[in-house]
Amino acid sequence: MKKRGIGLGCSWYGTGYGNGFPDVSSAFVEIHDDGSATVLTGAVDVGQGSNSIFAQIAAEELGLESQDICVYSGDTDATPDSGTTAATRQTYNTGNAVLKAVRQAKSSLLDYAAHEFSCPTSEGIELKEGFIGVKGDPSRRMPLADMVFQARLKGERFISAESSTARSTPVDPETGQGAPYWPYAFGCQMAEVEVNTETGMVRVLKVVAVHDVGKALNPTQVEGQIAGGVTQGIGFALLEELELKEGKINNPALSSYLIPTALDVPSIEALFVEDAECTGPFGAKGLGEPAMLPTVAAIINAIDDAVGVRITSLPATPEKILQGLAEKREGLEK
Amino acid sequence: MIEIKLVVNDKPYTLEVEPSERLIDALRNRLGLLGTKEGCGEGECGACTVIMDGKTVNSCLVLAAQANGSVITSIEGVGNRRSPHRVQKAFVEVGAVQCGFCTPGMVLSAKNLLDKNSKPSNEEIGIAMSGNLCRCTGYDKILRAVKIAAEEGKE
Repeated sequence: MKKRGIGLGCSWYGTGYGNGFPDVSSAFVEIHDDGSATVLTGAVDVGQGSNSIFAQIAAEELGLESQDICVYSGDTDATPDSGTTAATRQTYNTGNAVLKAVRQAKSSLLDYAAHEFSCPTSEGIELKEGFIGVKGDPSRRMPLADMVFQARLKGERFISAESSTARSTPVDPETGQGAPYWPYAFGCQMAEVEVNTETGMVRVLKVVAVHDVGKALNPTQVEGQIAGGVTQGIGFALLEELELKEGKINNPALSSYLIPTALDVPSIEALFVEDAECTGPFGAKGLGEPAMLPTVAAIINAIDDAVGVRITSLPATPEKILQGLAEKREGLEK
Repeated sequence: MIEIKLVVNDKPYTLEVEPSERLIDALRNRLGLLGTKEGCGEGECGACTVIMDGKTVNSCLVLAAQANGSVITSIEGVGNRRSPHRVQKAFVEVGAVQCGFCTPGMVLSAKNLLDKNSKPSNEEIGIAMSGNLCRCTGYDKILRAVKIAAEEGKE
């Protein structure tokens, strides 16, 4: 018999290295005389799209389009260290470093432009749609490229180097007090599953995932990270088990360590909540790891809802579910 | 060494290959077609998928000598920046690429499906793509992209 159930899983997750370890990212920026800018950072884009995020952050701050920004990343010869692409930290930590660096280069450009426009303060200058000009006076503006070009001829350069450090404290083991991480990511997911009581097989039919991302700088990437996380969560909940024997991995192949395929994924509805993280770049924070965490709990709870079997060790293999069902039957017979 | 003749991306080639040489090595090392990726090297992940005589194969499991006389399509033969195949266009449109390592194989599996079946059902798409593993995307956007490409092909 096939039985269906629904489960809920919630998570909160501290992003960044945390626990008192200083989490440092850094970036170099130059604004060029062709109306483009270069961002150099050690942050490695492994496909999650951090380079796109850094381009977007720089573009937003400079009033340019993201294709006007060239991001060089992950080259230890040329780019400043930005830590590992881990701990759900690149959008927040390196994003902050990029934003700081862009703002620093921009600030010298604004000072120069204020002088050129005879504006008493750089506060009165804005960068918008590829132009630099006096706020509220459309007659006094020019393409950003022209301004930087003129400045170059006078020996000015708009370059910067900045770093951003997220600080945390270790947790006091006696009191449990401390500020071990900042910021925290929050998520909630629901899963619907179908359990075959003859075979113990679980099929995930639907997952709805809602995550607080602070601000979705790139909604397509947010959806992609959520779907990727949910699918890893399905693997974590139902399939993946590293079998160790005397320190050796027994199943070091994709034929024996199974991960989800296109046939294992349900319809995934990815939603996000934008509750601005005031310390993040444009209110953003990380999403990478948190996306997979609630999936596991939601699936295990859905299995319980479907057949009344409480799985307490991962993955929830057909064997464990059948054993749970058998124990339940024995309990009833007694 | 064994002499083989094969057609790769519409171009005929005659190659001298080692008896134990795999098709993926012939494509990458002898023809310089680096778009074909080696993932697991044991026929499980599908990253090295190419189309051989109308069938998708794991090019890590095919000996180059076995490809003698066959017609091969690798990712380089599917489309390019200027004129991408409709599957590639759909992948870009929906954001179906993250790290990109599985993408060439995914595109070839999707193309081969659509070449044979212009109106695949969701299940048929799932089955056609299930030999290609992806750890980043959760397949969600990949499956969506194949559906979009299928829709476009119907017009």
